[in-house]
Amino acid sequence: MTNNQQTILIVDDEPDMCWALENILNHMNFHVQKAFNGEQALQLASENRFPMAFLDAKLPDIEGLDLARGIRESNDGICIFIVSGYFYKNDKEVQQALTKGLISGCIAKPFDHEEIRTAIRNRFSE
Amino acid sequence: MGQTHTVQTDEEHMPRRYKKLYLMLLEVIPSSVLMINRNMSIIFANRNFLEKSRRSMDDTVGHQLEKIFPETILDHMNLTRQIRLVFEKNQPTEGRRLSYRAPGVPLSIYYYRLLPFAWEGAVESVMLLMNDVTEQTRLSEEVRRVERHLASVVDSASDIIVSTDIEGKILSWNLAAEKTFGFTFNEVRDHHFYNYFNPEARERICNVLQEMKTRKQSHMEEWTVITKSAEPVPVSWVYSLMKGGNAQATGMVAVGRDLTEQRKLEAQLVQSQKFNALGVMAGGIAHEIRNPLAICSSAAQFLMEKDIDPEFQQECAEKIHTNIKKASSIIENLLSYARPSVSPEVEQINLIDLTKDVVALIGNQARIQKIKVKTRLPSHPVILNGNTRLLEQVFINLCLNAIQAMPQGGLLVLEVKTAGHEVLVRVLDNGQGIARENQDKIFDPFYTTSPVGMGTGLGLSICYSIVQQHSGAIEVESTEGHGTCFIVRLPLKA
Repeated sequence: MTNNQQTILIVDDEPDMCWALENILNHMNFHVQKAFNGEQALQLASENRFPMAFLDAKLPDIEGLDLARGIRESNDGICIFIVSGYFYKNDKEVQQALTKGLISGCIAKPFDHEEIRTAIRNRFSE
Repeated sequence: MGQTHTVQTDEEHMPRRYKKLYLMLLEVIPSSVLMINRNMSIIFANRNFLEKSRRSMDDTVGHQLEKIFPETILDHMNLTRQIRLVFEKNQPTEGRRLSYRAPGVPLSIYYYRLLPFAWEGAVESVMLLMNDVTEQTRLSEEVRRVERHLASVVDSASDIIVSTDIEGKILSWNLAAEKTFGFTFNEVRDHHFYNYFNPEARERICNVLQEMKTRKQSHMEEWTVITKSAEPVPVSWVYSLMKGGNAQATGMVAVGRDLTEQRKLEAQLVQSQKFNALGVMAGGIAHEIRNPLAICSSAAQFLMEKDIDPEFQQECAEKIHTNIKKASSIIENLLSYARPSVSPEVEQINLIDLTKDVVALIGNQARIQKIKVKTRLPSHPVILNGNTRLLEQVFINLCLNAIQAMPQGGLLVLEVKTAGHEVLVRVLDNGQGIARENQDKIFDPFYTTSPVGMGTGLGLSICYSIVQQHSGAIEVESTEGHGTCFIVRLPLKA
């Protein structure tokens, strides 16, 4: 966790969910940008270069995996995690996205903070 | 008048014109008249008697009684003795019946009386007055036979058949009625029909009786019977007007069918279909419940950390509290929906609250399929009589169908509008629509276009039967490729 200038993108339509992720990341000295839907997320992605993003799988205007594809267009090399109450890690769609490299992982809700922390540590120790 | 000489009359006491009138009357009356003297000899016979007995005047008048009537009849009637008694007592006899077969003539049945003709205190002769009642007897026997037949038809019917007068007082009550109500006919005779129903039905029955007097159409409705053992029994009734000969309303006929068994089957069907709907909703519900769970879990994990800022600690506790409430309200909705409704109780419902509950239940499913749910509700409450659970099932089915018709997302609109005595609920989607050739079949049980295992084909047929139970109607308007609109019409509480 050397680079405290890094900003991570959080996308979830539930503000309390963003609140939880934001606090975990803040405690790890990361900056956070939040979006509550796909449109806001794509806007932020076009204005910034994020090293990492946590996306909800079901957003009011877009599927999490489609959003991942969109973000990846403007943020090459971004590490994307799907945080979902809908998907399981062994779901076919998730497996395909992992194989294609569209996402780096899938964390099921509810999660242990350690799962998020590990994901971040893995990304930034690369 | 060649017969005048046959009547023993006293010219001094009977002016000629009265005599003429008297003879004329005797000739024209549809009764047979015989006058008999103390010697049991016939002194007069009118034309009716002669025609009926196929006799002539000459072989009748002046002859003895036993020459006129066959012996068996005389013995059977004891006619000679009766005539003597009338001579003695100067008293007419009571009316009696007599079966008489004149030679070569079919059996005739007569009603006869013996009347004394007394002059100045002395009985001069006895009049035998006979009325042919053969046809009446035959008719009344026929009537009785038809009556017995009808009564056995009515009593053998498995449907309840009750007739009342125009005020609703019970006139007849068949065996099926005794069986369902538990009261015998003697117990209910002349009591008002509505006494044997629950309070809501009583009010309706009074109204229907009033309406029928003017409307004169048969009426179909479901009224809950209260049996002798105070059990409520759902019965479907067809009530029609009974008209007299002059087309005037004389009463009502109510034909009822016990719906208990049908209701049990329907309840089972509704329940199994409900679980089907729950299965469809499960994905949405899981997603929706995991969010508050994840937030609670996160907040709890923050609280377990060391050196936590008291302000943040408070914030965490609040998040936990709010999200537990959120999760439990999702579960609450679900449980109340899943609960079986075996006895379909009718209660007063505000359709606005019901619509909001439905939106809450299907909202999760809509959200994960990118479907926007819009409601257009009046600002005033919309009150009707019905069963909350059943009506909820109708709208949930319609909404889930709409959601299924929009796999790429879309807009689902629930609109509630009152119009006169009814409320119209529209469930509108902009999905794939229903092909014209399928629109007639969608309410048929087991009709489905879903792949095997995806739909039972029962959802809409259950909607149809529930709406019908609420005296409403359900219609569909759809354009393939543009969307579908289901319209449910329900009567408002009067």
